Amino acid sequence: MRWFVLGLAAVGALGAAVVLGPTAIPFAELGTSPIVRDLRLPRALLAFLVGGALATAGTGLQGLLRNPLADPFLLGLSGGAGLGAVLAIALGWGGPWGLPIAAFAGAMGAMILVYRLGLVGGGALDPRTMLLAGVAVGAFAAAVTTAIVSLAEASQLRNAFLWLWGGLSGASWQTLAVLAAYIPVPLAVLAAAARPLDLLALGEEPARYLGADVERVKRRVYLAASLLTAAAVAVSGVIGFVGLLVPHLARHVWGHRHRALLPAAFVGGGTLLTLADTLARTVVAPRELPVGIVTALVGVPVFALLLRRWGAP
Amino acid sequence: MRRGNRSVVAGLAFLAACGGEGAPGRPAALAVTDDAGRRVTLAAPAARVVSLAPSLTELLFALGAGPQVVGRTTWCRYPAAAAAVPDLGDGLNPNLEAVAARRPDLVLLYHSPLNETAAAQLARLGIVAVLLRQDRHTDVARHARLLGVLTGHPRAGDSIGRVLDSVVARPAPPAAVRVAFVVWDAPPTVIGAGSYLDELVTLAGGANVFHDLAPASATVSLETMAARDPGIIAILADSGAVMPPAWARRPEWRVVRAVREGRFLALPADLFGRPSPRAGEAVAELRRLLARGTP
Repeated sequence: MRWFVLGLAAVGALGAAVVLGPTAIPFAELGTSPIVRDLRLPRALLAFLVGGALATAGTGLQGLLRNPLADPFLLGLSGGAGLGAVLAIALGWGGPWGLPIAAFAGAMGAMILVYRLGLVGGGALDPRTMLLAGVAVGAFAAAVTTAIVSLAEASQLRNAFLWLWGGLSGASWQTLAVLAAYIPVPLAVLAAAARPLDLLALGEEPARYLGADVERVKRRVYLAASLLTAAAVAVSGVIGFVGLLVPHLARHVWGHRHRALLPAAFVGGGTLLTLADTLARTVVAPRELPVGIVTALVGVPVFALLLRRWGAP
Repeated sequence: MRRGNRSVVAGLAFLAACGGEGAPGRPAALAVTDDAGRRVTLAAPAARVVSLAPSLTELLFALGAGPQVVGRTTWCRYPAAAAAVPDLGDGLNPNLEAVAARRPDLVLLYHSPLNETAAAQLARLGIVAVLLRQDRHTDVARHARLLGVLTGHPRAGDSIGRVLDSVVARPAPPAAVRVAFVVWDAPPTVIGAGSYLDELVTLAGGANVFHDLAPASATVSLETMAARDPGIIAILADSGAVMPPAWARRPEWRVVRAVREGRFLALPADLFGRPSPRAGEAVAELRRLLARGTP
């Protein structure tokens, strides 16, 4: 029943994203209009994949760090991506391909740094050290970014920030194909870690006694979640809250078993972001809102309401 | 407009008090009201002016006050003579020590909240600052008169003001070309009615397809761009910029017909990059470019 409802919501969200837009397109022309074929459809599907990737990454990281605050961007990835994007613009590489690649590279740089710092205690990844390292790397990247912004030409960098908090306006069949080819591998890694993640919820020691290769699982989950997040940043900028909100919602409905939790978070995240993007495109049409603002404006009150009803997660 | 009238009145009062430009006698105090509504008085025309906005620097040189300019921002690149003036860095949240070190008797600041703080700080140092927001051509006309008074070139200010008034007042030819000004590609950002570029297009016989958007610039969805189907995509470009721009090859942009057909118009940033006293020239040049179509 709950899978059926979720599936229905996903199909409804995708349908609405194709039918609704700032331009009125008669129902009969939906099949032939280039606006629908080359803009709305790839954008709806891209929103779905990005939302799904972020929510799945968030689920994996919350399981790994055993921390309800964990979010794909908590571990310094948004800071790294922002630094990459702003550097690219300041150095004049900010072309239509340069910006996403630079943001991806920045996120990867932050990921590697946090990963190395997480290993300082010896061979084991320590979740607490990683959280601290993530916050520190993020703060450092933000400081460097601000320094560049305050020294370089303002108009260009304002645009870099717009892009970074941007959204899905760069969607095309091309970007969709790149993302669709890229995300199955990290998604599969996370899916394969479902059982060990369940064990990890009991604590590292018990998980080890129950036969989980804890270190390997932690490394794989962290890398897979970061790769998903970096790819999402490259095609859509930093979209907050999906990766935090959806895993909590999914856990309340599907329980703590990651085998159900991960796919539910993927579909739920996709549905949420597709709906949010439809709102971003239509509520102030012909202008457009950054979709991250919509996810926060809609998500935070919903989250607050649910927290009140459920008590602490 | 009320502010404009007040500064004109102040200018006239000054002229009356002096009995005309360059008249002998004790100089009366010069008083104007700036765009922040602050009353600013100078005992005599400013001899050392720091200009912290590119459009105001250009205007000072046009007034003939170029030799009085003793400081500028890094971004003041026009006219070429401005390059000889010491560079004091940014115009927003300026380096006040660098400004004070030039010992100016007048500082021109772009009117923004950060710069209101800067003006208050300068006042503490005993340096007079005016806050001016020059976003439209009517602003240029008003500022020409105001700065003419403050720098001792009231006739030049008046004549620039009159020329600009007549450029803006001239009835626009019927709109023949539909133009979209793209300032950024991801997210797609265009010029709206709040910008001097929107004014320019109208005066040059074109129509901005995003004239219904009130702000100077706004993010829009590509599908609206495709649906409004502009005849020409105009872009502000530094010299040497390649047309069409790289983003024109991106598949999502090719849904827009003008992009597919390569109808781009590069407008040199020197002439079109800011509201300037050369509005007449800019209108004539844009009219010529729009009539010619795109290569």
